[in-house]
Amino acid sequence: MTAPGAALRTMFDKIWDAHEIAVLPGGVSLLHVDRHLIHDLEAGPDLARLEAASVTVRRPDLTFATPDHAISSAPGRTTDTNPAGGALLRDMRRRCASAGIRMFDIGESGQGIVHVIGPELGITHPGMLIVCADSHTCTHGGLGALAWGIGASEATHVLATQTIRQQRPRTMRITLEGAPSPDSTAKDLILHVIGRLGVAAGRGHAVEWAGAAVRALPVEARLTLCNMSIEMGAKIGMIAPDDHTYEYLAGRPMAPQGALFDRAVDAWRALPSDDGAAFDTEHVVDVAGVGPMITWGTLPEHVLPLADGLVPDPAAEPDIARRDGLEAALAYMGLRPGDPIAGTPVDWVFIGSCANSRISDLRAAADVVRGSRVADGVIAWVVPGSVDVQRAAEAEGLDRVFRDAGFEWREPGCSMCLAANGERVGPGQRSVSTTNRNFVGRQGPDARTHLASPAVAAASAIAGAIAAPRDVRAGR
Amino acid sequence: MTPFTTVTGVAVAVPRANIDTDVLIPINRLIDHAPAELGPFLFEPWRYLADGSPDPAFALNRPRATGAQILVAGENFGCGSSREHAVWATAAQGFRCVVAPSFGDIYRNNCFQNGVLPLTLGAGEVARIVDELDDESVEPVMSVDLVARRLVTPAGRTIEFEIDGERRTALLEGLDDIGMTLKLAPAIRAFEAADAEARPWNYRTTEETIVKQLLVLAGDGVGAEVVPESVRVLDWFVAERGLQVAVHEEPFGVRSWEERGTLMSDATWAAVLDADAILFGAIGAPEYTHIPAEERRTDWLLEMRRQLDLYQNLRPVRASEPLLDASTLRPDVVRGVDMVIVRELCGGMYFGEPRGITVLDDGTKRAVNTVVYTTAEIERIARDAFVLARTRRGTVCSVDKANVMEFGALWREVVTRVHAEEFPDVELSHMYVDNCAMQLVRNPGQFDVIVTENLFGDIISDCAAMVSGSLGMLPSASIGPRRADGRRSALYEPIHGSAPDIAGQGVANPLGSILSLAMCLRHSLDRPQDAALLERAVEAALAGGARTRDLAAPGDTVLTTTAMTDAVLAQLAESGSSHA
Repeated sequence: MTAPGAALRTMFDKIWDAHEIAVLPGGVSLLHVDRHLIHDLEAGPDLARLEAASVTVRRPDLTFATPDHAISSAPGRTTDTNPAGGALLRDMRRRCASAGIRMFDIGESGQGIVHVIGPELGITHPGMLIVCADSHTCTHGGLGALAWGIGASEATHVLATQTIRQQRPRTMRITLEGAPSPDSTAKDLILHVIGRLGVAAGRGHAVEWAGAAVRALPVEARLTLCNMSIEMGAKIGMIAPDDHTYEYLAGRPMAPQGALFDRAVDAWRALPSDDGAAFDTEHVVDVAGVGPMITWGTLPEHVLPLADGLVPDPAAEPDIARRDGLEAALAYMGLRPGDPIAGTPVDWVFIGSCANSRISDLRAAADVVRGSRVADGVIAWVVPGSVDVQRAAEAEGLDRVFRDAGFEWREPGCSMCLAANGERVGPGQRSVSTTNRNFVGRQGPDARTHLASPAVAAASAIAGAIAAPRDVRAGR
Repeated sequence: MTPFTTVTGVAVAVPRANIDTDVLIPINRLIDHAPAELGPFLFEPWRYLADGSPDPAFALNRPRATGAQILVAGENFGCGSSREHAVWATAAQGFRCVVAPSFGDIYRNNCFQNGVLPLTLGAGEVARIVDELDDESVEPVMSVDLVARRLVTPAGRTIEFEIDGERRTALLEGLDDIGMTLKLAPAIRAFEAADAEARPWNYRTTEETIVKQLLVLAGDGVGAEVVPESVRVLDWFVAERGLQVAVHEEPFGVRSWEERGTLMSDATWAAVLDADAILFGAIGAPEYTHIPAEERRTDWLLEMRRQLDLYQNLRPVRASEPLLDASTLRPDVVRGVDMVIVRELCGGMYFGEPRGITVLDDGTKRAVNTVVYTTAEIERIARDAFVLARTRRGTVCSVDKANVMEFGALWREVVTRVHAEEFPDVELSHMYVDNCAMQLVRNPGQFDVIVTENLFGDIISDCAAMVSGSLGMLPSASIGPRRADGRRSALYEPIHGSAPDIAGQGVANPLGSILSLAMCLRHSLDRPQDAALLERAVEAALAGGARTRDLAAPGDTVLTTTAMTDAVLAQLAESGSSHA
């Protein structure tokens, strides 16, 4: 609802404008940061840089820390289970304590992947400006926050000033039209979209996800969708908050409580883009009938429908540079043009990461796994996104479902998504992973990654090859 | 940051589209190596053969690329992760400029932070440069002039380019973003003040702002002189650093008797129970002899410890560089000493039953005290010590007498178990208390955190105090367990006591009390940075020659209690302004 005569604004415009302290010469905005999230790879080094400059952390109360990237996910892990991570973690503890930054440490409620705990603890709200030195910070857009990943220098600047200097990006709306297949998930939708638009489509833009298929997604699925905005080049992805968002946040430990929550909701209701507000770029993507998807190559846009997808033939690609890229990807992945992607044998299955490690993800995977066994020769891991997800799953008995099937049930963290902690897929080995990046070497040197939903990953673990959930259920 | 004006040098092309930051710098390299060491790992997955030798086919390894300073890349260069290490690796490899049709947004921002110019040209233009670089008959040299916004290709073509004004200025001048933004601090403060009104839910979780309650009990003797000085320092933090705290004062000790006819009024006791922190002065004065014995029967300091369960007593001892000569130990022994003694304060012999003196049949007497410790009592103080050590140098020395006494054996058993189960990352050693007393005067610098029981802690903390040279400098904290509502009681006091011999003369050293306030900022008010600021200001005041009578050497100017505080406030004003 907009007053007559007022300019129509997108949700992005509203949040950006509400955080603009000043427009600096050259058109760069100085923006206030509501929440700064820090993790073990960056916290110690960034705080050390600040100390070297004799500057204090301006708002430790708006800064939240948790180790996730370089810690081990091994059951019974301690500070030094991954030795390199132990040094980072010690430094992080000491510096967070010196600065008065709230840290959720290993072993305690609240610890987890930074993009899982932000929403889960109610640290993230609609309308907030959130940054973190991690590109998947766009995840928080699933609650209607304006959130993006920054570099180490920018993070140090935020620690010192609680502000960020930023060029205003252009706006983009991506509307998903049509009804996807009932056996699809948010992961399948976003993989489909990236396959259509490519990994660079969102560059320079803040993306708002819209359309009935988006509105129908539960809140955790919206986080998955926004999480992969960066995989199409958009460092910001967001979805308008609605009653589902407010219900999700109500009662979370760090969310506003009681009367203050009601006031917040009233304000949040004004956040969605005004009807008729203009976006710099619009895309409409047909998602009718989209089912389980899986990647075949080394970019998230290298994606196929699982059911009938065939490994592409570079010879069909007229553009030479693109053809080279496809050939390199095929060689790296060890696949043959024309082969069905389904049925490709796998060595590993990894269920976890900021894309897909929430309780709904684990439930979806457990539904496929229940009563089955992981195929011989396949190593399958479940790494819950947070201590709270882990405990909730254990309370429901999901850990038993996975363990009984032969999965390893591990401790929360980023784990094998980026292999920063020594947890890797071996050279030449093939993994179906619920992560967000299939880049060369991402899960370990020469590791081959296929991105998919938790249900597809679970089905592939059971089948010992890339498989659709329905096939595994049918074969039971 | 190194300014960027013009670069003329060898260029090399790696024109594949969508090169991601995992390829630019693999994750394990950025954990194991400093930013300046990352050069050899740029493009690591593509740059080396299986045996680790350079792949001669990769562009960077060709002789033509030796010493390259300009990288010509494909579309969407640096997509993926936000790791700034990708830019650091680019720079460490020697590249000052990357030319591409487009960049990953985060990589591009990171370039500007590191003096690397990310230059965007049209895809056709970049393709032509790549062709020129492929032409062996042309020297692969390019020139980039940021002043004139002009690029000269290997073939000698001149291309004008665009780059936004502020970015260009920052690169040209090597400006520091943080320094520039800190100059805008007033605007940031004003924004936050207005925003906290407009959107309070972003700053707190409840309608009412929860403000910590600080109770001031100056008490007897010099307590009445030093505590008001700490309150002046506290006021500075409220005014200059945005500290939010509700300060309330109650009479205590002789003053309470004089004003209210009781040593502990109901109002004072209620305030004690409700306080998040108590800034305490001292207890004890000659005037107590005028107060009826009945009224004097309760030791109210002990009663506060007992009722608030202030079981965790922290006694930091730091050798102040300007005061090294004041110690009775040699300067080379005390230099650099920085330890905290964590003393269990609510158990052991001070509270154990049975206790008392009985008259024996033959008329002589027998005195009994009992040391009692339970597993739970040892566990909680051990945890506190380990948690504290994690914020310091990470080592704990547990002090006991396990070779002689059963409570010592239990102490050691429990501390060892808590360490193994919960804090294996902390280094733990054990020491007998007699040895500890010796080590404290022999080599005090070996200690980081010492944890021990009540009686031993009483003795060795006084022993350690002598390292500092003056009792007037030493603060302490006594902290209770966290209650169900998340709050915990704490009492902060200088260890020097009421010092009746110098009371009322305005010469007492306020630093013990002021440093107790620093502990209060750190442990109760969630302001550890302000605590450090205050501790540095005290150190700077001492370095500047500020001395009260207890610290003064012959010939020194002797400051009054108030003047010493002024010296600290002057240092705060100087350092604090750069942190606004």
